[in-house]
Parts: sequence; structure tokens; C-alpha cells
Amino acid sequence: MNRDFPRQASSTGSTDSKSSRNFFRGLGERWLSRRAPRSRDITLNHSRLFILPTRAGLGYLLVTALLWLLATNYENNLVFALTFLLISVFVILPVHTFANLSGLRLQLLGTEAAFAGDFAEAQINLSRTDKRQREWIQICWPPEEGAYVDLCEVASADFRIALPALQRGRIQAPRLRIESRFPLGLFRCWSRIDLDVEFLVYPRPLTAGPLPLGEALVEGTSGQVRRGGDDYASLKPYQPGDSLRHLAWKQYAAGRDLYSKEYESRTDTRLWLDWELLDGRDVETRLSNLCDWVLQAEKQGVAYGLRIPGTTLPPSLGTEHQQRVLSALALFPKWGG
Amino acid sequence: MANNRDLLPRESLLWIFAAQFVALLPQLSQLPLWIGFAWAFAVYWRLEVFRGRRDLPGRALKLLVIALTVAGLAQSYQRWFALEPMVALLALSFTLKNLELVSRRDAFVSLLLAYFVAATLFVREQSIPYALYGLIATLVITAALAAQLGSFSARPRRALGLSLRLMAQATPLMLLLFVVMPRLGPLWNVPQDTSAGRTGVSDSMAPGDFTRLSKSAKPALRISFDGPIPPPEQRYWRGLVYSEFDGRTWRQGLGVDPRNGGQVYWNSGERPLPQIGPRYRYQVIQEASRSPWLFALARPASDSPGVGETADDRLVKRSPVYSRFAYEVRSWPRDSQAIPSPLNSAERRRNLQLPANGNQRTREWVERLRRRGLGAEEISSQLLALYNREFTYTLRPPALGSDSVDEFLFDSQKGFCEHFAGSYVFAMRAAGVPARVVAGYQGGEWVNGEKYLLVREYDAHAWAEIWLDGRGWQRVDPTAAVSPERVRDGLESAAGEEFMQDSLLPVHRFDVLVKLRLQWDMINYRWYQTVVSFDSEKQRDTLQRLLGDLSPMRVALFFATPVVVVLFGILLWTRLTGRGRKRPAVERLYTVFCKRMARAGITRRPGEAPRDFARRIAEQKPQLAEFAGQVTDAFERAAYGGDKGALMELRRLLRWCLGLPLRVRTNKSQQAGH
Repeated sequence: MNRDFPRQASSTGSTDSKSSRNFFRGLGERWLSRRAPRSRDITLNHSRLFILPTRAGLGYLLVTALLWLLATNYENNLVFALTFLLISVFVILPVHTFANLSGLRLQLLGTEAAFAGDFAEAQINLSRTDKRQREWIQICWPPEEGAYVDLCEVASADFRIALPALQRGRIQAPRLRIESRFPLGLFRCWSRIDLDVEFLVYPRPLTAGPLPLGEALVEGTSGQVRRGGDDYASLKPYQPGDSLRHLAWKQYAAGRDLYSKEYESRTDTRLWLDWELLDGRDVETRLSNLCDWVLQAEKQGVAYGLRIPGTTLPPSLGTEHQQRVLSALALFPKWGG
Repeated sequence: MANNRDLLPRESLLWIFAAQFVALLPQLSQLPLWIGFAWAFAVYWRLEVFRGRRDLPGRALKLLVIALTVAGLAQSYQRWFALEPMVALLALSFTLKNLELVSRRDAFVSLLLAYFVAATLFVREQSIPYALYGLIATLVITAALAAQLGSFSARPRRALGLSLRLMAQATPLMLLLFVVMPRLGPLWNVPQDTSAGRTGVSDSMAPGDFTRLSKSAKPALRISFDGPIPPPEQRYWRGLVYSEFDGRTWRQGLGVDPRNGGQVYWNSGERPLPQIGPRYRYQVIQEASRSPWLFALARPASDSPGVGETADDRLVKRSPVYSRFAYEVRSWPRDSQAIPSPLNSAERRRNLQLPANGNQRTREWVERLRRRGLGAEEISSQLLALYNREFTYTLRPPALGSDSVDEFLFDSQKGFCEHFAGSYVFAMRAAGVPARVVAGYQGGEWVNGEKYLLVREYDAHAWAEIWLDGRGWQRVDPTAAVSPERVRDGLESAAGEEFMQDSLLPVHRFDVLVKLRLQWDMINYRWYQTVVSFDSEKQRDTLQRLLGDLSPMRVALFFATPVVVVLFGILLWTRLTGRGRKRPAVERLYTVFCKRMARAGITRRPGEAPRDFARRIAEQKPQLAEFAGQVTDAFERAAYGGDKGALMELRRLLRWCLGLPLRVRTNKSQQAGH
């Protein structure tokens, strides 16, 4: 499969500041990708973790500053001692916050396909590689809230996190953020990890009316053909019982065997979801409409086939078939046609 | 609106209330009662909200509540910029915060306020029990902070354990900071409330004042000597001089009290010191008295900052003693001094002042003595002889009427120091001898373990001073005439059965308890000396003791060494722990292979399957194709097939490849290719 599909609509910054910001962001991303490369199995360590005080941490510092003022003004050594104790706690906190994330192992268990406009979910396993209890770990794709996980009584936990899928296609998910403010909420330790999460996003289903039963344009030889139509299709050796009206006299006259002409109907009992049925609409709408038909057909239990440029899937039913069809729709080239 | 995860669960709420309670509890005795009730009500309301029985108050109600509390504060406190109203304001602010405790941010603000309220406790009292309580409060508040992160850490044992661990780990750094952080002086002046309970000797002496003091065994002064120690009968710690008598109460009067025009020499050297050296050098640690009076032996001089000498040989502090205060004193006893100049007329008039009438019997009795031609000293000894003959020392004297001196001298003849001193001075003044009442402490208990003199509240005493021409002010203790043991052995032996009779726990009757109490006082003294009175001077001494010399180099080293050690430790720790779980042997071996290939010029792409990688190697470096194929094959069998033999083979293959320098091999094959 081609991995070089455009991910999301690339934002082309018009102003200078925006482009320079994008430049720095790109620089940061490249730095990150060198420092924390993509993998489906990541163990967090010091090279991946970052740590900074939170707003609450700054508030705490403000209170210690006020306490220091109180102590200084009243020349009170116990207030000094308390101030220094709080400052010392603040100094050792990053180590604890760091330890809450360091040594955690993240594994991508799998992803589930989704429809555009819906949420795509990834299943991830988080486990600890040592005995330390871990608490209050948030894993998310910002700005989504993601999942909160505790590894206190268990050593390993499976969970799902969702990412809104905006466009169809094969989507490489952005870096996940794993974050913890444990134990006092004064520091935020985080890492941005690339678990190599890739989603297959089907087109967004858009209603295009009822299933096009009996409207399939018949082309080629595949599929069951309803006989007795008006269109000449082919010749076949004569068999007793064939209608005499259909005998190919011309060929017979030319000295060949007796053939009977075969006619096919314009309509077909089997359902073909065909690109050409939706002529006149743009590519994405056509795909969305086809997607909707696929879902309807599957729901109604009508065997369906897909015919789009480059791909033809014979009619069938069942989850596997549906997935194959939807994948074909999802992976339809963006700028092709 | 805060998102769901930001709302406070029940456990967090309870922890916040616990933290507030712990911070508020010791303040409740000082704060107006209604603040306690307001807090309890706010907590109740918030819990009702949690149960869904009530709503959080709306904006109008909140404004009303704020207006009410501000009015309440204004009613309770007349002024704002003092400690007590500030504490009240803080307590009220977290009380009100409870009514809008919704998000984690609110909880956080509330807990930070609790820290501050807990700290203000120390401004009032710095004794060991308070310090311990403060520590517990900090522990609980920190636990509450930890409990804000989810239900697991909100479990009491987990939260407290976390908090305890954090504090224990922070302690070394705290001690370091405590010792080395520079102490600046007060940045601005903070007024404190003086209306709260006052102990010790007060501005005035009315009948009954000293009985109150005699019931308290609280320490008042702790005095350590540098050199000789005065004998018990010389231990008169002067604090106040009363010159004005209104017939019932003795007061300092105009020109004595520094606040009423009494002269104070604030700078050393302003008042000439005697020629001969001081006889006693000592340090006094005075308990908080909320008044500016300090206590010292007669003719004291002190170089401690903020301490001044008065013209009547006392020490005063510039600002009241709100917390324990230590000062250095040198004392020259009066008998070692040169003959003083005669009393000036203002002084003489002040020390002869008497009410225009009242106490006629005493006046007449003195007049009779004067008419017999007796001098000042003879009248004094007549009076003391009278005390000695007729009077009884008791802590429970009968009540006296309006002519208190007359009734005491001629009717009841029972009393203690204040009666004796007051009547003596009255009589002497009536006889035309300048005299004044001196109040302070007399005696003290020598604590051998720590070598200091412990003076308690019940050592409070009043005595007299008379002016003798050519000899100056002389101390006369009329109480000693009646009960010499009061002066020699202290109140306990003088009062006998009466001593501390009303106290709930007659501690003094049990030797063990007395000893324990003394031990406790010794610990307190240590605590005060090492922690509470640790100032910039002691800081310099300590650093000097630790470092030998305070050169910038050494100080920098002293600071930097622990920092470097800790940083190095953290670095080492992250290296050790950050590696995480040890990867299986197969993966490690395959990584070795990948690295080798990278050196040969083919880097495995992230996520590239081993098979694909091998194919790429075969395309780009055909001479390595066989080796790569074998390795990949063995790797796949070992990793996915669980084939033990394959692992051995992989190891063998790699050893073979490690043994040979890869680059030479490739070069050779490249040459062969040409």
C-alpha cells in the first residue's frame, strides 16, 4: 500500500510569522523524530521525557515566596523552616513525577478502522517494567482528553484512545502525548511518542437515495446475467431448446456451426455499486455515496459488488467483504479519478 | 465549565476539609467564634451540594455572604494591618472558597491558603509542641494535595505515606537551606495585636496582681551566665519601676515609662559606663510578654539591637516582645559604682509623690518616727523590724478596703510581696525619703544540665528602692524581713502549703514530675538556642564552624557540592531505571546485526520487516546477501518459532561476523566486484 498519501490537508501558511512558526514546529518535530523514533513498542526513559512546572506549581512557588516574606518580616525561624521545607519538596518533586512515567512500556495492540467524521480508536497496552506504582497517567492526542490510566494494583492495562478522523484514507496518527502530574500536581512530566498508529479511514457515508437495485449497468462478462433482454451480447453454441428466433442465421449461412445469439438484460438481479452510477458528482461525494450504499446493502443482506476505476470487487456479503470494499473506497487515490 | 475530570470527587473534598480543619484548629482559640461556625456551616453546605440536596450558592447569595463576613471582620477587629485580622481573613477566604469548591483549581487554591494559615501559627508561638503540630498540619495538607490526583492516592494510608515520604526526602535540603539561606532583617514594620492575653509582670501593680502570677509555673526568663553567677539573694531581675501611687494602684508614672517621656538610651555609649568592668555577663532569653519590658540586674548595659537602657537602670525593648527574645547584658552592681550625684528636684518630687489624703494612720505613725529625729535608714529599719515582728507571709491575704496601706499595716498584717513593697514605699515617702517600688522577678531555679537559671512566672516579685543621700538608690526588700526564705529559696518554700494549691495538677509535690518538668525545660532551652533564635549572627558562626573560613570559594563549594552530588545521583538513577525492561536476547542480537549493517551502509528503516530488510541488503550489497539471509532466517525462527537452536545459531553467526571486521570484508568483496 502506498504510505505517501497526503496525511491531512497541509496548511499552507500565508503570512511570514505563520510560516516561520511552522518552520520551527517542523524543526521540533524532526528533532523529536530523531530523539524519539517511531515504534510500536516504546519504553519511556529520560531521553523521551520532558518536565516543567505547571501553573499550580507556579502558584505554589508564589505561596512559598509569601511565606518567606512572612518569615523575614517576623524574623520567625519556624516559618523559615516551613518555607524551606516547601521549597525542598518542590525541588524533589520532579524526580517523583519523572519516576511515575519513566520505565513505562507502551505497546500498540491494534487499530480499528473508522468512518471519516467519526472517531478512530487505537488499542494500547500500558505496562510497568518495575514494581513502582504508577498513578494518574493521561494518554491522549491533544486536544482530545484521551484516557487516564492507573497502574497501582495491576501491572498492565489495556485501553483505547480515540482520534477524530477527518479525512478518508490511510491516516498516520500524530504523536501521542503521555502525561502525568503525580504526585502533587505541581509538575507536568510528558512525552510525545510515536507509536506508529495508522488508521484506515473509510469515506464519510453520505446518503444517495435507496440502493440502485436493478439499475446496474452491465459491462463485461462478470456477474449473473438475466437473459431475454434487448441487447446483443455474444454467440454460444446452439443447444436444443434455444429459441429459434435467436439463431445466428448469418453465421450459419457462412458455413459455421449453428449458434444461437445471446441477449442480456440492462438490469441485473445482483447489485453492482458502480462509479458510473454517480456520474456528475465529485470524487469524494461519489465515494461517500458508495460507502453509504455499502452499509445499506450489508444491512439489508443484499450481495453487492464494487466497481470503481482501478478496482472491481465481485458481489458478495459478509464482514470481510464489507471491509474489503470499504478499504478500496478509503484508499481510492485522492487526486486520481 | 470545568471538564469532567476536573470536578472534585468525594475523597478529594474530604481531604480538603481535613486540611482546612488541621490548619484552622489551633487558630480557633484566637479567632472570633463565629469564624469557626462559618467554616463548619460552609463545609456542611458543600457536603449537601455533593449529595445533591442543595445547589451551590448563586452570585447574589455569595455577595451577601462576603458582605456579611467583611462586616463581621470589621466588627471583630478594629484594624486591618495586623496578624490576627490577617489570619482571620485567610481563614474566612478558604471558608468562603468552600462554597464554590468545584474544580481542581479551586481545591488547589484552598490548599495553598491552608499552608499559609498553618504557617501563621508559628508567628504566635514557636515552642516544640507548636512546631510538631505545624509539621503534622503540613503533612496533612500535602497529603490532601496528593489526594487530589485520583481515588487511589486519596486513600488515607497512600496519601499520608506519600506526603511523609516527600517531606522526609525534602528534609536534608531544608536543613541546608535553613543553615545557609541569608536572613534579611524585617522588610517593613508589621504591627501586632497587643490586646490578646498578656502574662508576666504588668504596667501597674494593683492588689492581687502577683497572686495571679504566683499560680503560674510558666517559664519567664532563662538566663545563662558567662562567668560568675550571682548568689541567690542578689538575683533581683528588675523590670519595672512604679513611681506613681493613686491610693490603690502603683503605676510607672510620667517620666519613668518610656512611652510617657521616660528617657531611654538606645545607643551604647550614649550613657557613660562605669569605670570598672562589669561583674556579671549573661544572656537572657525572655518569653513572649507582649510588653517592651526586659529584665536584668541593677545597672545593666546591653549591646543587643533594639534594646535600650533607661535612666532608672532598667532595659527596655524598642518593640514589644511578641516572641521569645534573647539579649546580652552586662551588669555593674550598685555597690561597685562611684558615689552618685544628688537626686535632681524632678526626680525627688516624683519619688515623694503621694495622694493628697488617705491612709492617715500610716502618715501619723511615720510622722511620730520623724519627730523622734530618726533618719531615713532608721525609719526603714523600724519599719522592717515591725514587719519582722508582727507580719505573716501568705499568698492568700484578706481583702483590703480603700485605705489599703493602713489596713495592711495595722489590721490584717498578712500579705505578700506587693503588700510589703507597696506599704513600705508609702511609708518611706510619707517620711520624706524618696522611694519607689520595683517589680520584676526574684530568684530562679538553677538548671545544672544546661547551665542556666530558669525564672518562672511565680518568681515574680516586688520590692523597694530608697534614695539615701551619698549612697544613691538602695534596694530594700521588705518581704525578706518577714520571710527570708522567699528571697533565699524562692516562693515554693516561703509559701509552703499554699504554694500552687489551686493548680489542677500539683506537679511540685512529686519529685519525678518536678525533674521531668525541668528536663522538658532543658529541651525547650536547647530548642530555643538552636532553632528559634537562629539569626544571621548564629548563621555566620555555624558556617564558620563548618567551613572554618567564609571565603567565597568555600561558600560556593559548600553550596555546589551537594547540588552536584544530587544531580549526579539523579543522572545515574535515570540511566539505570530509564532503560526499562531488559529486552529478549533475540531482539538484542538482531539489534547488533542491524547496527553492523548500518555501519556497512544499509540502515534498517523504522518498522521495516526483517525479511524486507534482508531483501534490501541483498539488492544493495549482494556480497552480504547470504549472511543477511541466514541471520534473518535464524532470527525469525528464534523470535517466532521459539526455536532454541536457532538462537544458538544466531549467536554463532553474529560472533562470526563480529570476529571479522565487516568493513574489510565489504571492501574486499567490492574489489572482487571490480
